[in-house]
Amino acid sequence: MDAVIAAENVRVHFRRGLLGEPIRALDGLSLEVREGDFFALVGQNGAGKSTAMYCFLGLLKPTSGNLRVMGQVPGLGSKLYDRVAYLPEEPHYDLYLTVEEAVRYYVSLYGMRVSVQKIREVLERLGLEPFRDLPLAKCSKGMKQKVGIAQCLVHETRLVFLDEPTRGLDPIVVMLFRDVLREINRRGSTIVMNSHVLSEIEMLSNRVAIIEKGKVIAQDELRNLTRLDQERYAVAFETNGNVPDYLVVEEDQGSRVKGCIPADRLYDFMDFARQACLRVLECSLKKATLEESFVKILKGDGNTAGLK
Amino acid sequence: MESGRQISAGEQIKGNLQAHFAYYRRSRLLLAFGLVFLILGALFSLPAIFGQSHVKTFAALQNIFGLFNDFLIVFSAALGLFIISSHLRARNLKMVFTKPCPPQLWLGSAFLSAVAASLLLNILILVCAIAVSLVWHMRVQAGLVFVSLSTFAASVGLIGYLMFLAMIMHPVLAAVFALIFNPDIFYGMHVWTQGMITAGTKSAILRGLSHLFHFVYMVLPMVHAFPKETGRIQTALRVEPGQWHYAFYSLGYALALAALCYCLSLFFLERKRLI
Repeated sequence: MDAVIAAENVRVHFRRGLLGEPIRALDGLSLEVREGDFFALVGQNGAGKSTAMYCFLGLLKPTSGNLRVMGQVPGLGSKLYDRVAYLPEEPHYDLYLTVEEAVRYYVSLYGMRVSVQKIREVLERLGLEPFRDLPLAKCSKGMKQKVGIAQCLVHETRLVFLDEPTRGLDPIVVMLFRDVLREINRRGSTIVMNSHVLSEIEMLSNRVAIIEKGKVIAQDELRNLTRLDQERYAVAFETNGNVPDYLVVEEDQGSRVKGCIPADRLYDFMDFARQACLRVLECSLKKATLEESFVKILKGDGNTAGLK
Repeated sequence: MESGRQISAGEQIKGNLQAHFAYYRRSRLLLAFGLVFLILGALFSLPAIFGQSHVKTFAALQNIFGLFNDFLIVFSAALGLFIISSHLRARNLKMVFTKPCPPQLWLGSAFLSAVAASLLLNILILVCAIAVSLVWHMRVQAGLVFVSLSTFAASVGLIGYLMFLAMIMHPVLAAVFALIFNPDIFYGMHVWTQGMITAGTKSAILRGLSHLFHFVYMVLPMVHAFPKETGRIQTALRVEPGQWHYAFYSLGYALALAALCYCLSLFFLERKRLI
C-alpha cells in the first residue's frame, strides 16, 4: 500500500523568545500512514501530536528530517491539499460568515464550483439546514464542527486531519461525527486523528502511533497494540485451597477464587484444574484496552520491539 | 493518490472576495468607523449647505467633496488594516492555507477586495458630488474627477501600506505608527532643522537630525505623490490640460508602493506562525 504520509526523523526545534529555553516539539519523529488507514496519534499533553499534525499540514516547517504528504513536501496552501480537509481542535472559522456561506467559502478554496443544492443536501443531512443563515459567531462548538464535516462531505476529500475532533461536543453530535467519519473512511479516505479519548480511537482507528517527547515510541495496528503481551484469561474456579503460582488473584472467597492468568499459561491451568479435579466456573479471553497498552508502553514495560 | 483535478484560481479568488466583502459588510468596527465619518461629514457640511451666494455654494461643494475624500482615504486605510489584523488575530488563516489556496492568492484577494470597496465608495462620492453640482445649477467641474482619481490612487497606496503594517505589528501600533511616521511631519522637522542651521546654529546633533528627518521623509510613503503640482486642483476643482497626467502618475506611484508592500507582506505572512 502507498504511504500517504511518510515522516522520517522529523525535528521541530524552536525557542520561546530570543533568550528562551530551546523547545524540542518534535525530536526525530518517524511514522508512516498508509492509504485507507484510520490512523490515530496518541500521546500525553505536550507530546507533540498537534505539532506533528501542523507539520503534515504545512503550517509548521520541520527544522530537519524528511516529510512527505502524498509524495510531496507540505507547504502553506500547497496544491497537494487539493483533496485534504482539516478540522482543527478549536474551530477557527471566519465567524462573520453564515453556516452556508462558510461551507461554500471553504469549498471554493479548493478551486471548485459546487451547486447550492449539494451544499444544502449536506447541511440537511447534518441537521444544519435550519441554521444555514445563522452567523458562525452565534453557533455552538458542535455546529461549527459540523460545518467542518460538511466541507469534507461536499468536497469528497481523500485525506482528513482531525485535531481532537470531539472535544467539548455532546454525545449525540459525537455519535453523528463517528458515523460520518466511518463513512468517509469506508469511501476510501485516509483519516489521521489526534485524540485523548482512547475509547474513541479504539472504536474508529485501525492503526495507532504513540508519541512521547516528540518521538513515536510505538506504531502498529490497533489489534497488535492492544494485544501487546497483555492478552490474558479471566478465570473463576472452585478450589480446595491450592492455586497456581501464575494466577493473579482478584477475588478470594475461600472455596471460590477469581483471577487472571497469562494467555500462554492456559493449557497449564487446564492441566492443573484437571489434575486437582477443580470445577472451572469461568474462563474467558480478556483483551487489553488501548488505555492499558498506552499506559504500559509509556511506563516502558511494554514489549514494543518491532512495533515502530 | 493525486487527483490531477484542475484547481480554478478564479473560483478561489471569487470565494475569497465574497468572504472579504461579507467581512466588510458585517464588521461592527468598520461600521462604527464609517458612521463616525458620515456623521462628522454631515455636521461639517451643514454650514456650507446653507450658504446663499453662488460663490458660497461652490465653496460648500468643494468643502464637502474634499472632506469626504479625506475621510475615504482614512477609511480605505482602515479596510486594509482590519482585513489583515482580524484574520491574523482570529487565527482562521490556517483554515485557508490547509487548502490549495496559496498565501499570495489570499493576500492578493484581500488587497483587491479593499481596493474594490474603496473604489465603490469613491464612485459613490463622485456621483453624489456631480448630482449636487447639477441640483445647485453649477457646471460639473473636471476637478471632481481628478480629485476622485487622486483619492483612489492615495487609497490604493495606503491600503497596501496598512496591510503591511498590520502584518508585522498589532493593529493599534500599526495605526499609531502610520499617524506618527507621517512624511509631512518629517518634512516639517527637516525644514525646521535646516532653518536652524541656516540661521547659524552650529550643532552636529542638529545636522545629524536634519539628515535623519530627511531620510525618514524620503523613505516613508506619501499619501499624495504630487502635492505641489496638484494642490491647487483640490481647492479650485479646475484642471489645466497639462495636469491630467499627474493623476496617472499618482496611480503609478500608488501601484508601485502597493506592489512593494504586497511583496513584504507576503514575505512576513509566509513566515508567521499561523497555528
